[in-house]
Amino acid sequence: MPFTKYANLDFDQIKTSIKDYLRANSNFTDFDFDGSNFSVLIDTLAYNTYITAFNSNMIVNESFLESATLRENVVSLARNIGYVPRSRTAAKAQISFDITRPVGNSSVSVTLQRGLVCTGNVNNTGYVFSIPENITKTFIETPSGDFVASFDSIEIYEGTFLTNTFTYDGSLDQRFLLKNSFIDTSTLNVYIKKEDEDGLGIEYSIVDNIINVDSNSRIYLLQEVQDEQYQLLFGDGLIGKKLGTGTSNDGNLITANYIVTGGKEGNGVRNFAFSGRLESSDGDILNVGRDVSVTTVQESQNGSEIESIDSVKYFAPKIYSAQSRAVTARDYEAIIKNIYPDTESVAVVGGEELDPPEYGTVSISIKPKNGTFVSDFNKSRILSQLKQYSISGINQKIKDLKILYVELDSSVYYDSAKISTSESLKTRVINSLTSYSNSVDLNAFGGRFKYSKVQQVIDNTDSAITSNISRIRIRRDLRALINQFGQYEICFGNKFHVKTDGYNIKSTGFKISTENDTVYLTDIPNEDKKTGTISIVKPINNEITRVVVKSAGTVDYVKGEVLLNTINITSTVKPNNIVEIQAFPESNDVIGLKDLYLNFSISESSINMVKDVIASGDEISGVVFSRDYYTSSYLNGNLIRQ
Amino acid sequence: MAIQRISRAFKDISLSFEPHPITKDLPILKNENAIRRSVRNIVQTIPTERFFNSLLGSEVRSSLFGFVDVGTASVIESQIEIAIDNFEPRVNNVQVQVDPTPDHNSFDVTILFDIIGQEFPTQEYSFLLEATR
Repeated sequence: MPFTKYANLDFDQIKTSIKDYLRANSNFTDFDFDGSNFSVLIDTLAYNTYITAFNSNMIVNESFLESATLRENVVSLARNIGYVPRSRTAAKAQISFDITRPVGNSSVSVTLQRGLVCTGNVNNTGYVFSIPENITKTFIETPSGDFVASFDSIEIYEGTFLTNTFTYDGSLDQRFLLKNSFIDTSTLNVYIKKEDEDGLGIEYSIVDNIINVDSNSRIYLLQEVQDEQYQLLFGDGLIGKKLGTGTSNDGNLITANYIVTGGKEGNGVRNFAFSGRLESSDGDILNVGRDVSVTTVQESQNGSEIESIDSVKYFAPKIYSAQSRAVTARDYEAIIKNIYPDTESVAVVGGEELDPPEYGTVSISIKPKNGTFVSDFNKSRILSQLKQYSISGINQKIKDLKILYVELDSSVYYDSAKISTSESLKTRVINSLTSYSNSVDLNAFGGRFKYSKVQQVIDNTDSAITSNISRIRIRRDLRALINQFGQYEICFGNKFHVKTDGYNIKSTGFKISTENDTVYLTDIPNEDKKTGTISIVKPINNEITRVVVKSAGTVDYVKGEVLLNTINITSTVKPNNIVEIQAFPESNDVIGLKDLYLNFSISESSINMVKDVIASGDEISGVVFSRDYYTSSYLNGNLIRQ
Repeated sequence: MAIQRISRAFKDISLSFEPHPITKDLPILKNENAIRRSVRNIVQTIPTERFFNSLLGSEVRSSLFGFVDVGTASVIESQIEIAIDNFEPRVNNVQVQVDPTPDHNSFDVTILFDIIGQEFPTQEYSFLLEATR
């Protein structure tokens, strides 16, 4: 046998190859027996070959960004294309508190020292919150004669404040390694001073590229090295100012202050107890103990883990192709996920594609990982950080998420002979639909609800299910401005199915200022069946419906858009001032158009279990089935959204 | 037609690697010597010692720290028998005799076996098992 199989990665296969070779080329015979001496030699040889093959395989794998598996290598390869992986991010909270100047103290101001400020807890776990820089406030006299310094909406970071100091010795191989794995690098402050100087020294700022950097720039670079630790890199006198003790240098003592954080664990802390250190301007430590009453302006949020290996692999090439410029929609996707790690999905639409067009704007919708909206604080932060990437003359707007809910009204036929109870089968159907609702087809901008897939999911849940008849509804939630006149525009982004006698648009109940009873929305199509009129009605009884406002708005069935004229809603039946508006899509495959975020709402869907009397053998003619177990595939004519 | 003779000879390398005094060839173990050596290798290999073949060997070493008595001896006996049965297909009629010598804290092991398909007399192979620490 030719001894030419080079690609074996399996010990036994290598051993067999060697044995085959020996069988043809040797006088020895005993290699076939495990106890023999020859077997020991073959094992050693095969093991050696195996290790070499494994190593070369690993080396080749680890040499490319796509196939590397060790974080150190992924990060190093990403570094080659200028990508700095995100560090852990500390959860940030905003608090306010006042400090009253003690009697007998005449200082002008008070400084909250960097380091520990507060403690707080969430889920029975305690967390400490710190600040990376001193904060100084002036005492101001109040009408009551006290002198009070107000620390208003100061930002505190979950984690422990730490300091590392290094002395630069001029050697080429000196490394400045911050030996902690959980650093939030956005809190890092680096200072340089000479040995005989007081204070922290001159602050150096971080850069991630060398544009506009010259020999006098006080800059440093940061790179992730092994074990999720970070290394500081300083200038060499050509690119960035060189460290040293000379007259043109700033010094050789490096101080690095930073916060080591628990990442996303620290999110959601609401109550804080003061533990900070206060120093008045005359040098006294103010001993306020725990008497300071802390007001929480915003609970802690935005804490996140260090960027995962998968994320680095995905975003490093994208950021490289974006070249730190937000031009195309994909660039925005890469950059927004970089500056706001809590992003789950991003939709970016150029203003020219909007209706009506808004030239020169970019409309951005962001779905955060937890929750459905981005706070105003985060919006302004994202926008200000986007500015440095975007083309001048282009305005970004972050629009609130618009969720288009897809609901299912499904009748599931089952063979009663194959199951114990229909309730347990129903639970399983709901479980399999829930897992489908979490899939990537949905829950995304530009997502698509695939009708045939959902029917398959239901049918495949159990062999007892014989068929299903499923009808699709789409829903938007109108958030009413209570006791205010307002016009509302609700876009569904999907063509509506039109029945000429109306009942295409349905809503949950609400009250308006001119009517005491609960009223509902309904529609009357125009003759062209492309548009229609929205009316506000109230049901008197099962048969009679009274029109309250005949022309309360319009509906565009083709665009999938409901417009309500000026209306004053005073209350809603649903909580949180929500009026649910539903329509029936013309196509059972629903898409999330532009900034609509598609969500498959299982909780609002109805699953009816219907016994398949034919399959279970209860009857064979189908007469009873068509009389008692019959389900229409079309929509009902009810006035009200059930 | 010439009579074809299928060789049932066994030929193994010797791990001593001491060259033959005259021919300077690598020493070779043949037939009963090769098998005897193989049996010894199997008994003295500790399971998990061999790469990717963790079952090969016998557990006698772990028994050496017990009492040096007839009970332990019978355990060792059965362990050696099982190991040879499992891993040495060239022998049968294996008899293992283990005699405890408490004064020396060791066991005398004698293994008797027949070589399958060969006209050799019953082979006998003895060695001493003692705890090395």
